[in-house]
Amino acid sequence: MIDQVIASALTLSVPLVLAALGGALHRQAGVVNIGLEGQMVIGALVAALVSGAAHSWVLGVLAGAWAGALVGWLMSLTITRLHANEIIVGLGFNTVVVGVIGYWLRASRGVSGTLQVDGLVRLPTIRVPLVEDVPVLGAVLSGRSPLFWLAVVLVAATTWLLDSTRWGLRVRAVGASPAAGASLGLRTGALQDSAGAAAGLLAGLGGAALSLGAIGLFNENMVAGRGFVAMAAFYFGRARPLPTALACLLFGTFDAVQARLQISGGYSASLIQTLPYVAVVVVLALTGIRSGRRSARAVA
Amino acid sequence: MTIATAGTTTRSTATSDARRRARAALAGVGRAAVPVLIAFLVGGVVLAVTGHDPVEIYRLLAAEAFGGGSRIDATLAAATPLLFTSVAAAFAYRAGVFTIGAEGSFTLGGLAAAVVGAHVGSWPAVAAVSVSLAAACVAGVVAAVVPAVLRARWQVDEVVTTLMVNFIVAGVAAWAVQAFFQERGQANSATAYVSEAATLQPFVPPNLTNAGLVIALLLVAGYTFWFRRTTLGFEFRAVGAAPRFAVAQGLRTRTVVVVALLGAGLVAGLGGGSHALGVVHRYTSGFSASFGFTGIAIALLARFNPVGIVVGSVLFGALNAAGSTIQLFVDLPIQLVDILQGTVMVFAVVQIGLPRLLRRTARTAEVVA
Repeated sequence: MIDQVIASALTLSVPLVLAALGGALHRQAGVVNIGLEGQMVIGALVAALVSGAAHSWVLGVLAGAWAGALVGWLMSLTITRLHANEIIVGLGFNTVVVGVIGYWLRASRGVSGTLQVDGLVRLPTIRVPLVEDVPVLGAVLSGRSPLFWLAVVLVAATTWLLDSTRWGLRVRAVGASPAAGASLGLRTGALQDSAGAAAGLLAGLGGAALSLGAIGLFNENMVAGRGFVAMAAFYFGRARPLPTALACLLFGTFDAVQARLQISGGYSASLIQTLPYVAVVVVLALTGIRSGRRSARAVA
Repeated sequence: MTIATAGTTTRSTATSDARRRARAALAGVGRAAVPVLIAFLVGGVVLAVTGHDPVEIYRLLAAEAFGGGSRIDATLAAATPLLFTSVAAAFAYRAGVFTIGAEGSFTLGGLAAAVVGAHVGSWPAVAAVSVSLAAACVAGVVAAVVPAVLRARWQVDEVVTTLMVNFIVAGVAAWAVQAFFQERGQANSATAYVSEAATLQPFVPPNLTNAGLVIALLLVAGYTFWFRRTTLGFEFRAVGAAPRFAVAQGLRTRTVVVVALLGAGLVAGLGGGSHALGVVHRYTSGFSASFGFTGIAIALLARFNPVGIVVGSVLFGALNAAGSTIQLFVDLPIQLVDILQGTVMVFAVVQIGLPRLLRRTARTAEVVA
């Protein structure tokens, strides 16, 4: 049973980690990305469609990532070039993306909400011989999807990207102070847009992990607020890749436990679902209180 | 002689004042019309791509929304919750407080009114309704307390906390219904129906509009009065316009922030209560159809102007009401309304930037030349 919970917690964490890493990158560039939800939905849909049309999960994943990146880039352009409020634009983009997809499903495909794609190829599971028989370790390392391993690699990769590359340094500089960045001759808008596109790409990957995962179909409600949980995670992890990913793991575990409770008929499932959001409020409160104390001390 | 001169001066300032105000109002209408037009353009493209004639569909929508008494009634009923949430948003935004928590307050207010309203059956109608609505107000405020305290005491950004509280409220409300208020024999998680006494009866049955609309319009009037005539309303505008200057002037910024957040919660909670007593008659999952978020779009579109808020609420109410009935005649997914609303939301905040972008391009061109 422990093995099952671990396995489902890890599976549920993958889309969260991917999207939250994207949100963390965008946050480092100084933009709070509320649009992850919509970018995950479009990624999930396009991944399912392309996987079915091309009979290839690789192409499906790539297409989903690309679709997410396109939406993320457009959203970022709206924020940086048209000076629109990031929160409202994010909420608006989510509404439009979900609206267009829901409309298209009904008008062109004649289905209400759920799309079964013929010939869809799901993500394979990678089994590790020998290790898979070890009790807990087997559940962790064996039977995972390629996107799980990609997410693990991406945690390290985004850390390196932010800490050790020119792009990462510049993105963080612009995020810390756009005016200072601009005074150094950095193209602040372009840097933020590249981070926005990267965020969309990662959210699209997260969507692909959902639609090409266990069930292998698309449903317009399948993201079910995961974009906002991802947002909670990058707040919780202060936009650092490793802490953000660990927060996702924690939230994924909540989700797995909650799913188990729901089977046994507990009411508390909907309470457990709120835990990521409670965590964010607590983190923000603690950060605020601590910085308040520090400035009080500085004055004294 | 001097008196006459003075008289003419005042008169001429009065006319130029009126002219200036008229010009500002016209500019406001223009600014609000652009996002709406863009949204209908985007919607038109979507319609055309899926083989519908946009002009025909929009004509049908307009006829469904405003063609005849019962249709106008449906539009006004659909506009009522939006009036509450848009006033709530505008009230806080004018103080520079950017709450997204109307959705949560609306939901919790609805639950509170539904629960109380189901238990006051033996009371006279006035008392039953007032107590239920009061419970809704309290619940709306409760949903806003944590972000308000955090913002006022420790400068914690209210945007994210209010957004998070929306999700927390949704979960807690679902849990509370299942654990305590679930009506027996209801498959969905729903509370019992509110008692006859606590129901906001329609003015002209079988129409839908009820006292909720009157309460909402009174709130709009109160909102206008608050910002035109009260001291705290003036401080709201001052803090919203220039926070640091307001601090330097000794204005009560902390009070303003707290009142803005709690007041927005109260108004949105009252809206939820009126929706529960007048429309849904109970609380069910999916109680609020994103009214809180649509209210934000309306408030921004109207630039917090009371007349604009009423017009915007009626417009979005018309879309909601007509969008759901038009499906009976045309094979048209209601998601079209989401597309229109989302586009309006995006472009309501975008278009401040548009002229600036053009101006900058012009300036760069000049410099280059």
